[in-house]
Amino acid sequence: MRVIEIAVGKDLKPVSDSWSRLADDAAPKAGEKVIVPLARLKSGDNQIFAAAKVGVEITGGDAVEDLKPWIDDLGLVVLRFGTFKDGRMFTAARMLRQRLKFTGDIRAAGDFLPDQVVFMLRTGVSSLEVADEFPLEAAKRSAKAYSVRYQHAVDTQPVAYEERARLP
Amino acid sequence: MYIYDKFDNTVVNERVADFRDQVRRRLSGELSEDQFRPLRLMNGLYLQLHAYMLRVAIPYGTLSAAQMKKLAHIARKYDRGYGHFTTRQNIQYNWIKLEQVPDLLGELAEVQLHGIQTSGNCIRNVTADQFAGVAGDELDDPRVISEAIRQWSTFHPEFSFLPRKFKIAVTGAARDRAAIQFHDIGIQIVRGDNGEIGYAIYAGGGMGRTPVVAPLIRGFLPKPELLSYIEAILRVYNRHGRRDNIYKARIKILVREIGAEEFTRQVEEEWALLRNEGINLPAAEEARIRKFFTPPAYEPAAKAAGEFEAQRKANPAFARWVETNVHTHKQPGYGIVTISLKPVGEIPGDATADQMDAIADLAEKYSLAEVRVTHVQNLVLPNVKQGDLFTVWQALGKIGFADANAGLIGDIIACPGLDYCALANARSIPVAQEISKRFESAERSALIGPLQIKISGCINACGHHHAGHIGILGVDRAGEELYQITLGGAGDETASVGQLLGPGFKADGIVGAVEKIVDIYLELRNPGEEFLAAYRRLGPAPFKERLYASH
Ligand code: SF4
Repeated sequence: MRVIEIAVGKDLKPVSDSWSRLADDAAPKAGEKVIVPLARLKSGDNQIFAAAKVGVEITGGDAVEDLKPWIDDLGLVVLRFGTFKDGRMFTAARMLRQRLKFTGDIRAAGDFLPDQVVFMLRTGVSSLEVADEFPLEAAKRSAKAYSVRYQHAVDTQPVAYEERARLP
Repeated sequence: MYIYDKFDNTVVNERVADFRDQVRRRLSGELSEDQFRPLRLMNGLYLQLHAYMLRVAIPYGTLSAAQMKKLAHIARKYDRGYGHFTTRQNIQYNWIKLEQVPDLLGELAEVQLHGIQTSGNCIRNVTADQFAGVAGDELDDPRVISEAIRQWSTFHPEFSFLPRKFKIAVTGAARDRAAIQFHDIGIQIVRGDNGEIGYAIYAGGGMGRTPVVAPLIRGFLPKPELLSYIEAILRVYNRHGRRDNIYKARIKILVREIGAEEFTRQVEEEWALLRNEGINLPAAEEARIRKFFTPPAYEPAAKAAGEFEAQRKANPAFARWVETNVHTHKQPGYGIVTISLKPVGEIPGDATADQMDAIADLAEKYSLAEVRVTHVQNLVLPNVKQGDLFTVWQALGKIGFADANAGLIGDIIACPGLDYCALANARSIPVAQEISKRFESAERSALIGPLQIKISGCINACGHHHAGHIGILGVDRAGEELYQITLGGAGDETASVGQLLGPGFKADGIVGAVEKIVDIYLELRNPGEEFLAAYRRLGPAPFKERLYASH
C-alpha cells in the first residue's frame, strides 16, 4: 500500500505516511496516528483520543453527519470504496467539506478507478491509499484531462459560466 | 439553437482525447474488458451481440442540418450506411469498430456532437418536447433549461456513479409530448400564483420491470432555483438509492419504498441547505443561453395560403399527410412537419445515410436549418412555411418518408430486440414490421385514429410498452418467444401504465391479436372516441373476453 497526495492543479505525489489502523479494542500508543472504524468512534471509547491524531474510516452506507461531534478532533477521514461504482463516496467527500467544514485529509481507499481521480479532486478528496500496482500514470492523466468545469463543487476554480461572464 | 463556445468545445475535445487514450490502453491490453467497460459506457459505447454499438447524444432532440449531415457521413464511413434514432432522442450506430471510435468521436466533435453520458449510471442526455419553441401551447421554451441541465450534468463530479441511470425530461407545454411522468425527474414549466414562470417537479417515474408514473413532488419551484433543487433530488438518490440489486436501483424504487411524502421531505431538507451553496444558474447565464433560442424572424402569414388549399383539394394523399403529420405552428402560415421514420414494413427509427442527407437538405432549404428527433423515433422539421409543405412532402416521398401515419397505428415504437440486443427474449422489429404491413391502408389507419403501439423485446421496456395504448412485450416461456399484450398505457399528461390483458401469443398470432383488439375497439367505440378513451371507458373485459374466446 502507498499513499498519494492529490490536489487541484498539482501533480499526484506519492508521500510517506504515518497513519496506521488501530486493531479492535487496542489502545493507541503515545504519539501514534490511528485510524478507527466509525463504530469505534461512535462507541464513546475515549481512549482512542490518547493517540497523537485520530482518523476514521467510513464505508458507503455510513452517514457523514454522524461524524459531526468529533469533526474538529479528526485528522483524517478514509472513504472506503467497496466498489468503484459506489458513488456515495463523492457525496460523502463533498458534504465533509461543505457541510461539516472538515479541513483535514480526506482519503479514498478500496476499489476505485484511476479515471475517477478527476471527480475526487473536485469533491474534496485529498489523498489516495492504493496498492503498489495502482496505475499512477493513468491517474495523473485523469487529474489533468479536463480544464473546464460546468458546475460548482468543492474546488474553487471558476466554472464555465463564470469564465464566460469575465470575457470582454 | 445552442452553439458551443470555446468552453463547450473544450469539454468535448478533451473527452475525445481522454477516450482516445483509454481505447489505446484497452487495445494494448493495459486495460481488461472489465476495467474498460465503465470507461466506454461513459462514452455511449456498448458491446452488443455482433459488434460495438455507439450512441450519440442529441441534447433535447435538436440538430442542425450540418449535424445531420455529419451523422449521415458517420453512418457511411464507420457503419453500414445507416443509423437508428432512439426513444431517447439519440442516434445509435450498430456496427462500430472499437479502434475507429476515437476518430469517429473526433469527427462528431467538429460539429459539436458527442457520446457523453448516453450510457452508464449517470445523468443521461436530457430530453424535451420535440415541438419546443414552435408549439402554440407552450408557456416557455424548455430548451433553455434543458441546455442549462445539459451543462450542469456533464461530468458532474458527485453524480457520475449513481446507483443506476438517471433520466430527466422537460416540457414547456401543458400537452406533454416528452412523457415526463415516466422519467426519473420530469419538469413541467408552469405559472405561479402571480403569473411568474416556474416549474412543477415530478420524481420517481420510470418504465423497466417496475413501471411507475412519477408523483408530483413540488407544485411550484421558482425559476432561479431549479438546479439546486434537482441537485438535492440527485443527492438524496445518490445517498439512499439501493445499490444491492440492479433491478431495484432506480429512483422510482427509493420513492416507492420510503413513500413520496418522505422522499419529498428529504429533498426539501437537503435543498434548504444546498440552495445557498452556489449551485443555481446566474440570471446572466440563463439570459446568455436564452439568446440562442430567440424565435427566428418569421415571414408574415404566407401569401401562399390559397395555393396550399388548392394543393390539398387536388391531392387527397397530401391532405391526409397534412392532417396527420403537420402540427399547428405558433406562427400563422407555418407548420411543424413530423417526418415518419416508420415506412410500412421497415425498421422503426432507421434512416440511411442518403435519407439523412436528404432530410438535412430539406431542413436547410425549408426549415431554417433545423431538425428535431422525437421520443417516438421520428424526425421533425419545425419551421416549414405552408407554401412549402407540398414540395417538402414530395421530396419526402422520394426517400420513402412521406407516410401519413404520425400518431396512428403504423407509428410504432420498437426496441432493437433480439435482432441486436443481448438481453432480448424476443424479436421486436419484425413484429412492428408485420403490424405496419397489416394496417398498410392509409384510409383504414385514419379511420382507426390515434393509436400508439409500443414493443419491447424484454422486461427492460426500452420500447416503452408500458406507455403504449397497445403495449407488446416479448417474454421467454421455456425457450419459446411469446408476446404479451398490455392495454391502456399512456405517456402523455394523463400518464398511465398499461394493464396486462392475459396469456401471451406466439409470433404467428400476435399480429392477429392486435388486429382483433382494433376490431373490437372499432365496434364498441362511441362516435369520435379515440382508442385510449374507449379503453378507459370500457376497461379490459370486452377485449379479454373476445380475444381469448376462441382459445
Ligand atoms: S427492451 Fe430488452 S430487448 Fe429491447 S432493447 Fe431493451 S433490453 Fe434489449
